[in-house]
Amino acid sequence: MSESATSGRLDQKRVRDWLSQLAAPARPMIRGTVAWGMAAGALTIAQMGLLAWIIHQAVVESVEVSELTVPFMALLAVLLARALCQGLQARYAAVSSRRIRNSLRRSFTRRLHAAGPVALGTESPATLAREWLDHVDALHGYFARFLPQMLLAGLVPLMILMVVFWLDWLAGVFLLLAAPLIPLFMALVGMGAEKLNQQHFRTISRLSGQFLDRIRALTTLQLFAADRRAADLLQERSDAYRRITMKTLRLAFLSSAVLEFFSSVAIAVIAIYIGFGLLGYIHFGPADSLTLFSGLLVLMLAPEFFQPLRLLAQHYHDRAAALGAAAELLDRLEDLPDKAVQKHENVRNADPGAGIVLDQVSAGFYPGQPVFSELFLTLESGSVTALTGPSGGGKSTLLHLLAGFLKPDQGEVRIFGLAPGEVRFGWLGQQPFLVHGTWADNLRLTTPDASDVAIETALRQLGLGGLIDERPEGINSPVSESGAGLSGGQGRRLSLARILVANYDLILMDEPTAGLDPDSEVYVIEALHKLAVQGKTLVFSTHQPALLTLADHILSVSGRGQVLDTSRGGRHYE
Amino acid sequence: MNELRPWLALLFRRPGRLLNGGLLMLVTLISGIGLLALSGWFITATALTGLLLAAGVQASINLYVPGGGIRLFAVSRTIGRYLERLYNHDTVLRLLSDIRVFLFRQLSEKPAAHRAAQPSSRWLSRFINDVDQLDALYLRLVAPPLLALLLTMLIGAVALWVFGAFTFLLVCGLLTVGLLVATLLAWRINRQRAGREDAQRDQLRSHIIEHLDGLAELQAAGRAGRHGARLLRIASQITRERASSDTTGAWVASITQLLVNLAVVAALWSGLALFQQDQVSAPLLVLLPLAVMGLGEIYSALPEPFSRLGATIAAARRINEQCLVASAAPPVRALPDGGAALVLDKVRLMKEQHTVLNCFSLCVNQGERVAITGRSGVGKSTLAEAIAGLVEPVAGQVRSIPLAFMTQNTVILEDSLAANLRMAAPDATDKSLWRLLEAVELQDRFSAEKDGLETWLGTAGRRLSGGEARRVALARVLLTPAKLLVLDEPFTGVDPARRERIARAVEP
Repeated sequence: MSESATSGRLDQKRVRDWLSQLAAPARPMIRGTVAWGMAAGALTIAQMGLLAWIIHQAVVESVEVSELTVPFMALLAVLLARALCQGLQARYAAVSSRRIRNSLRRSFTRRLHAAGPVALGTESPATLAREWLDHVDALHGYFARFLPQMLLAGLVPLMILMVVFWLDWLAGVFLLLAAPLIPLFMALVGMGAEKLNQQHFRTISRLSGQFLDRIRALTTLQLFAADRRAADLLQERSDAYRRITMKTLRLAFLSSAVLEFFSSVAIAVIAIYIGFGLLGYIHFGPADSLTLFSGLLVLMLAPEFFQPLRLLAQHYHDRAAALGAAAELLDRLEDLPDKAVQKHENVRNADPGAGIVLDQVSAGFYPGQPVFSELFLTLESGSVTALTGPSGGGKSTLLHLLAGFLKPDQGEVRIFGLAPGEVRFGWLGQQPFLVHGTWADNLRLTTPDASDVAIETALRQLGLGGLIDERPEGINSPVSESGAGLSGGQGRRLSLARILVANYDLILMDEPTAGLDPDSEVYVIEALHKLAVQGKTLVFSTHQPALLTLADHILSVSGRGQVLDTSRGGRHYE
Repeated sequence: MNELRPWLALLFRRPGRLLNGGLLMLVTLISGIGLLALSGWFITATALTGLLLAAGVQASINLYVPGGGIRLFAVSRTIGRYLERLYNHDTVLRLLSDIRVFLFRQLSEKPAAHRAAQPSSRWLSRFINDVDQLDALYLRLVAPPLLALLLTMLIGAVALWVFGAFTFLLVCGLLTVGLLVATLLAWRINRQRAGREDAQRDQLRSHIIEHLDGLAELQAAGRAGRHGARLLRIASQITRERASSDTTGAWVASITQLLVNLAVVAALWSGLALFQQDQVSAPLLVLLPLAVMGLGEIYSALPEPFSRLGATIAAARRINEQCLVASAAPPVRALPDGGAALVLDKVRLMKEQHTVLNCFSLCVNQGERVAITGRSGVGKSTLAEAIAGLVEPVAGQVRSIPLAFMTQNTVILEDSLAANLRMAAPDATDKSLWRLLEAVELQDRFSAEKDGLETWLGTAGRRLSGGEARRVALARVLLTPAKLLVLDEPFTGVDPARRERIARAVEP
C-alpha cells in the first residue's frame, strides 16, 4: 500500500516535471500573466487606499465633496486600469496555454509519424484521437489558470502584507499569523481538493460508466424487455454512490471551510481591534496612531489578502484534470519513438533500374523472435511478385519491411537504390481508407495535383463510373451522401484508383482481392494487369490463382522465415 | 433557450432542495457582505467616538451589538459555506442521476428498430459529453444570477430607504448594467463561437481518425507530413477561437467587476453629498459602499458560465433531438397461423441502401430447426435482425410468436454474472442459472470464483474471453421462456469440440 503510494507520488512528480518542461518555451508569456496579475493586485491596493482616503477626508477632515474631485477621478482611473490589467492577464494566459498546446500537438504528431502505421496498428484510432485532441486541451486550465495563480497566491498577499505592516504593524501581525499558515492552507486546500476531485471523479465516472454501459446494451436490454428494470437499477445504484460520496465529502469540504474560517475570523478580529484602537482602549503597540483612513484600509485589504488563495482553491480541479490527462499523454509519448521522420516529401533521385534489394535482413515484431533472419532477396524493377504462404508466415512482415513501416533489426533494405520511405510508392491495405469528402478529395489526398480527367479516368477504370454518373456534380460529389459509406469492395477499388492516379513505380499490396465480391475482384485484377503491363514493380501477397498467373515470381513465405521462389524451380532465399 | 426548458423542468422536480440550497447560499453571501459592511460601520463609528473622546467630549458607543454582529457574521459565513457546499453537492449528484435515468428511460422508449443495433463509440462519447454539460445547470446558470438579482434588490432597498431615490437609481442602475453584462452580454458575445466549437471539434476528431486509419497510404505517398500539418492548422484554429472566446469572457468579467466598483464609487459619492447635508450619518455612509463591494463575490461567478451558455444550449439541442423527439411505436407483430412459429412473407430487406434480400418467404414450424448459411456479408445478420424486429422490412411481412434473439455482438453488462443472466428472466432461481451454466460448460469456471454467481463481469470486473462471453450470452438467451430462438453465430470463438458438446447439451 505504502509502496504504491510512493510510486504514485513519484509518478506525479514525473508528470509535473514534464508539465514544467512543456511550459518552458512559453515562460515569458506565463511571467507576463503573473505580472499583469501583480499589477491588478497593486491597483486593488490603490483602489482601497483611495476609497479609505476619500472617506477619511470627508468624514474626519470635513472636506467638501466638490474639493474631492481629483481623488475621485484618480479612483476612476485606478478602476479602469485594474479592469485593463485583469483583461490582459486573461489574454496572456490564453495565449501561453495555446502555444504550449500547439507545440505539444506538433511533437505528438511527429512521434505518431515516426512510429508508423504498423506500430500504431494495435491502438484504436479513436483513443489516439482523444489523446491528441481532448487530453492536450485538458492541460489548458493548468497553464492558463493554475500555474500563474500558484505564484500570485504567494506574491499578492505578500504585497498586501507589506502595506498593512506600514499602516499598523499589529494588524500586520494578525495577518502574518495567518501567513505562515498559508503554506498550510495550500496543503490543506490541495489535499481537500485532491480528495474531493478523486472522489467526485470516481463517482461521476462510475455513474457515467453504468449509464454508458446500459445505453450501449440498450438494444439487448430491450430484446429481453429488461430496460425498465435497468432504469430502476441505475437509479438505485446512483443513490448508493451518492451516499458513499457524501460521506467522504463531509471531510473533504472541511479544508475549504478552514480557509473560509480563517479569512472570516481575520476580518472580524481586525475590525474589532481597529474599533477598540480608534476608541483609545488599546494602550500598547501602534493602536494610538490608527486613523479612520488606516483603519478602513486595513479592513478592506483583509479580504483581498485571502482572495488569491480562494481563487487557487477554485483552480485546483484544473490541476487535477491536467495531471490525469498529462500522465496518460506522457505514457503514450514515451511509448512512441522520438526520431525525425524521413523527409521523403522532397524526393531524392531514385534509380528505378536498381530494383529492390534485401541484404542480410533480420526483422521481427518482438526482440529475440525474428520472423526473418539474414534474408537476402532481389526483385528486378518492373517485375510482378506474388507472396504466398500460410497466414502468419511473414507475408505482411515482408511487405511492411519493403514499405519501411517496419525497420530491420539487421541488414539493409534498398528500394531503387534508396532507403524504404525515401521513394514514394503505392500502398493498398486490407482496410479501405476513405476520408469524408468528395471522390476528388479522396484521390487528391495522396496526389494533390491530379487533374479532373485523370481522376475520372481512374475511377471509371475500376468500374466506379456508375456511382459518379448518378450525381450531377460527378467526381465533386460526396462519396457517401448519407454517411453509410461504400461496400468493402467499392472501398478497395477507390483505394486502388488513388494508386492509378498517382503513377508510382512501386506498388505494395496486402491481399488485394481478399474478401471482395466477384464484381470488384474482376476490376481489381484487370487494374493490376494494366499496371504490370505499364512496367510498374508490383509486390503483393495473395492466394488467388488469378493473381498468381499475373506474377513473374511467386515467393512462398513460410512460417520459419524461409522464402522460396516457386516460380523458378524452387530457388531458395534465406 | 427553449432547448434548456425540458432540463430546467427536470431540475424543478426538486423544488425543496433547490430552494434550501439557494437559501444556504444566500445566508453565506449575506454573511460575507454583512461582515464587511458592519465592520466598516463599526470602525467609522468608533473612529468618530474616539475623536470626540480625545477632544474631551463625553461620548459613548454600544460596542456589544456591532461586535456581536461581526462575530456572528464571521461564524455564519464559515458554517453557511460549509453547509451550502455539502448540501448543494448532494443536490448536484441527485440531479446528475435524475438526468441520466430520465434520459435512459426516454431512449429505451424508442423502439430498437429506430436505432443502430450497436451505437458507435463516437456517438456514445459525444452523447456523454453533452449530458455532462447539463449537470452544472443549477449551480452555475440558475442559482447565481437569481441570487445576484435578489441581493442587488436587497441592497437597493437599503439604499432607497436610507439614502433616497437618487443614490438608489445611481447604484442600482450601475449594478443592473453589471448584471446584464455578466449574463446577457457574456452569453450573446460568445454565443456563435461557443455553439459551433463542439461541431468543429467533432469534425477535427474524424479527420484525425482518418489520418491514423490512412497513415500507411499517406506515408507511402509521402503525404503524411502535409496531411498532419493540416490537422495541426485546424487544431490551432480551434484553439485560437477558444482562446479568444475565453479572453472575451475574461474581458466581460473584468467589465462586470468594473461596474460593481463604479457602483461602489457612486454610492460613496452620492452618500458624501447627503452626509455633508447631515442627512446620513458617517457610519451609514461607509456601510453602503462596502456592502456593494461585497456583491462582487456573486457577480464574479456569473460571466464564465454564461459565456459558455452557447455550448450548453448546443449540447441540450443535440440531446433533445436524439432523445426527446417522439418516435412511432413499433408495429405490433402479428402471430403466424396454425402451428407455425415464424412466417416471412415476400420480405424485402435493405442494408445501407443495398437490397440484401428480395421477395423472401420462409415458414418455420414450432419445434423445427432452421440453419441459415452463406458467405459473410450476404445478409444473414440482417435477416436475423429482421426476424427479431430490429430491422423493418421495406416490403413484405414478418409474423412470429414471441422470440428471444442472440445478437451477433456479445453484450455483457458491467454487472454480476447473475444480473447478466437474469436480464432474460428476472425470477430465475440460482439452481436454474447453474443448470444452464453447466450446459454451456461454464459451471467449473464460475464455481471456482469465490463470488460464484455474483462474480462481477465487464471491464471493471472479471474479464471473460470472447468464447466465454459468447457462452454467457448463449446461456442468457436459453434462459428466456420464449419458444422461438434466433441465434446469430451462437458459437463465435468457441472451439469445435466444445460446440458439439454444448449443442448436444442444449438440445430441447
